[in-house]
Amino acid sequence: MASLQTEALVIGGGSTGAGVARDAAMRGLRTVLVERKDLADGTTGRFHGLLHSGGRYAVKDPDAAKECIAENVILRQTASDCIEDTGGLFVCTPWDDPAFGDEFVAGCRATGVPVEEIRAAEALRREPRLHPDTSRAFTVPDAAIDAWKLVWGCARSAEEHGARILLYHRVLELERDGRKVTGALVHNELTGEELRIHADVVINAAGAWAGQIAELAGCRVNVLPGKGIMIAMNHRLVNTVVNRCKMPADGDIIVPIRTVCVVGTTDTRVADPDELEVTQSEIGEMLDEGEKLVPGFREARALRVWAGARPLFSLEEVSDTREVTRSHALLDHRERDGVEGLVTITGGKTTTFRLMAEVAVDAACEQLGVDRSSRTAEEPLPGSDDGRFYFLGSRLRAREPVPQTDEIICECELITRERLEEAMRRRGTANLDDIRRTVRLGMGPCQGGFCTYRATGILHAVERLDHRAANASLISFLQERWKGVHPILYGDQARQAWLDDWIFQGLLGVQHLPT
Amino acid sequence: MTYDTVVIGAGVAGLTAALRLADEGKRVLVTAKGVGSTHLAPATIDVLGFDPGPVARPAEALPAFTAANPEHPYARLQPGLIAASVEWFKERLPAIGYQGGMEENFLLPTAVGAVKPSALVPETMAAGDLRAGGQCVFVGLGLKDFYPAYLAENLAEARLDGHAVSARAIEVSLPLAGRPDRSSAGFARLLEERSVRDALVRELTPKLEQDERVGFPAVLGLARAGEVWRELEARLARPVFEVATLPPSLSGIRLYNAMSSALREAGGRMHVGEPVVRAETSGGRVEAVITQPTARATAYRADSFVLATGGFASGGLQVDSYGEVSESVFDLPLVDTPPPGGSRFLPDYFAEHPLNRVGVAVDDRLRPMTADGRPVYQNLHASGATVAGACPWHEASGNGLSLATGYAAAAAILEGAS
Repeated sequence: MASLQTEALVIGGGSTGAGVARDAAMRGLRTVLVERKDLADGTTGRFHGLLHSGGRYAVKDPDAAKECIAENVILRQTASDCIEDTGGLFVCTPWDDPAFGDEFVAGCRATGVPVEEIRAAEALRREPRLHPDTSRAFTVPDAAIDAWKLVWGCARSAEEHGARILLYHRVLELERDGRKVTGALVHNELTGEELRIHADVVINAAGAWAGQIAELAGCRVNVLPGKGIMIAMNHRLVNTVVNRCKMPADGDIIVPIRTVCVVGTTDTRVADPDELEVTQSEIGEMLDEGEKLVPGFREARALRVWAGARPLFSLEEVSDTREVTRSHALLDHRERDGVEGLVTITGGKTTTFRLMAEVAVDAACEQLGVDRSSRTAEEPLPGSDDGRFYFLGSRLRAREPVPQTDEIICECELITRERLEEAMRRRGTANLDDIRRTVRLGMGPCQGGFCTYRATGILHAVERLDHRAANASLISFLQERWKGVHPILYGDQARQAWLDDWIFQGLLGVQHLPT
Repeated sequence: MTYDTVVIGAGVAGLTAALRLADEGKRVLVTAKGVGSTHLAPATIDVLGFDPGPVARPAEALPAFTAANPEHPYARLQPGLIAASVEWFKERLPAIGYQGGMEENFLLPTAVGAVKPSALVPETMAAGDLRAGGQCVFVGLGLKDFYPAYLAENLAEARLDGHAVSARAIEVSLPLAGRPDRSSAGFARLLEERSVRDALVRELTPKLEQDERVGFPAVLGLARAGEVWRELEARLARPVFEVATLPPSLSGIRLYNAMSSALREAGGRMHVGEPVVRAETSGGRVEAVITQPTARATAYRADSFVLATGGFASGGLQVDSYGEVSESVFDLPLVDTPPPGGSRFLPDYFAEHPLNRVGVAVDDRLRPMTADGRPVYQNLHASGATVAGACPWHEASGNGLSLATGYAAAAAILEGAS
């Protein structure tokens, strides 16, 4: 069996794991990251895209609020290319008690979240689709953050500092030598081969799956997967992050991100973070709540629904996951369970991923007896060096000055053939869903109706796939897209889906292809 | 304004009904929100391609099919009507040069290299027929909507009644420098230029092998399509055929152009871009339909009306965020709707979804019916994808359904008038 030796082994390729790998590699540790699927395939790739100001937790969870605003300031400096500075509003709709606004302002002041009350008329001027009877409005520095860019930026930076990123590698066992964890046995999900990784320290950054990993070392970590559903609408119904000004509850936030806006979310405790079913009643509730912030919400076109699993850490059993803190949890198993060589970092938010990575690597360094401190609060991610924020027209502005003869393969997301081929070569994957996470293929209004066939034909050529492998890629991509489409198909999006069905099953007849 | 018949919708169903009636001297108006699904779909007439395995002989297979599917629109039609509609269509649109008929299906390659049965195929596609196997070469022109290597590999694996197909791909580069428009419509315009065809023939000829048939994406011209195709056959000295690919569909646009000019020549009128917003009804009859393309509403009165607005894809049927399904113009009663709270779609993409067969139920004169089987309006007939009970892309029956029901709606109107 193949084996390799490293100082730090990071488990999990979400924002936390990628952040840990980067931080560890920047401190000069030899680092390997293993992820059972693709980067940001778990919770990180399945949230609404909010870079918290902390306002949301100012009243209910002040510790989380403080962490959020501190990290918000840092990420604006170090990950600017991943951030759109939309700003945030907290508004009192006719369903909300205007008096809560005072409590909200007091909470923000106490936690250091910059807040300013503006006239309701001014809020409506900025966001004309808001409910006309909005009574109060407050600005906070919420923003939108592109999780894929963020994670890929961390991974690239980690690699530049010598780390190895092993995707589609699932941890089967944690290796033990008495009371010490000495590495892991991992399974390459694509080739079926096994690999033994010897490590001086293992950092468990598996988020909602952290309990499963810790259990492999005989440690009990009570991670409660809290299911949240989100719906992406075809348009940016708002251009500012808009929150209901009340205690956090279901469906009380709309985040504009890229070309869409996302309404979220719910919070339901689930047993297994891999089993996240979306029900019609949850969808109905999201749409009704969206309607309260933006009247006419149900008339707008809904693209997709999905669910993510928050990793909520709790010392005791609870029934309502809304009540669990959004702060992160660092567990040094040497002190806690008498198990050396293992650190677990879980809980938290994507907003606080950098801080989580820092404290996790601090703990790992301490176990290793290494005294080097984190530089991630100062050193920007690749692509964010100029400190300029992403904005919606970025891609267009970069291309506009020169007449284009490039073919656009995905018209919805403006992906050129050259860019797609480059992504295919770089990723070396036969899985179109991996390509989607890299360049946003098929994520726009037609949900892959036009680009899927083209991308398959290109993949067939670039990756020299045989036709059966290409057919399998095409069909699994269609199934993957359908997963988020079918529970929420109505209005014009249903029309679109019928056209897509016609293309694949009527015109092309992909259901008759050999796989 | 008064007409004998107003047809709502300008797809194959609506244009068929209108053309049949105009040919019989009726004053006909077609009013439509926009062009129909002709611009999305190839011009082949698929009557019955799968049941669920491939259907070789549609005429022979239809009686058993309608017996097994009594709620299918085909089961509403008089025996022989489907065949009559197909024969009429073939004769009536000589510009398309339809080949084939109801006796035996053609087997055409799709753009991924699957095989699709079709009853009638345009002359530009006929040489793609795979029934007897043979050697095909597929030519990529650098069009982003056509991947001949992928197509050829899949097709080479197809076993058709023991006939093997050998298939390979060639890429040629047309002189495209400085031309940013690379949609299939752009390629079609390009291929109408003599110099471009010269370059194509020059580059392709030495690469072809003996006995090969030559397949192109369906972009061989628009207005002068037949001419471009014939010229390529002559100059390449081999059978040449088009393979349908992603929308916009050039062959479908040619069909739309042929049908709408035939209708105008026969005295019919067409108002495209003028959707019907409501209807005036009284005494169990439709009196007029109202359009409002600008500020002023216009009422069109007629003796009879044909509803040919299509299904969900075309907006003839719609589903709202509560899952309520409705017909867009007359709010007609629908059948085959999933029960309240029931799922509308299944998690398996390729499954038959509960919403697939929703539509209006019709009587044997194709009049939309109420739940108790009476016509909703005495003089309203429905055709095409608005009619309940079909699953066109599973059956490969799309244009066949539109043609047959459009033809039948006209027949019912003519019969009622006589």
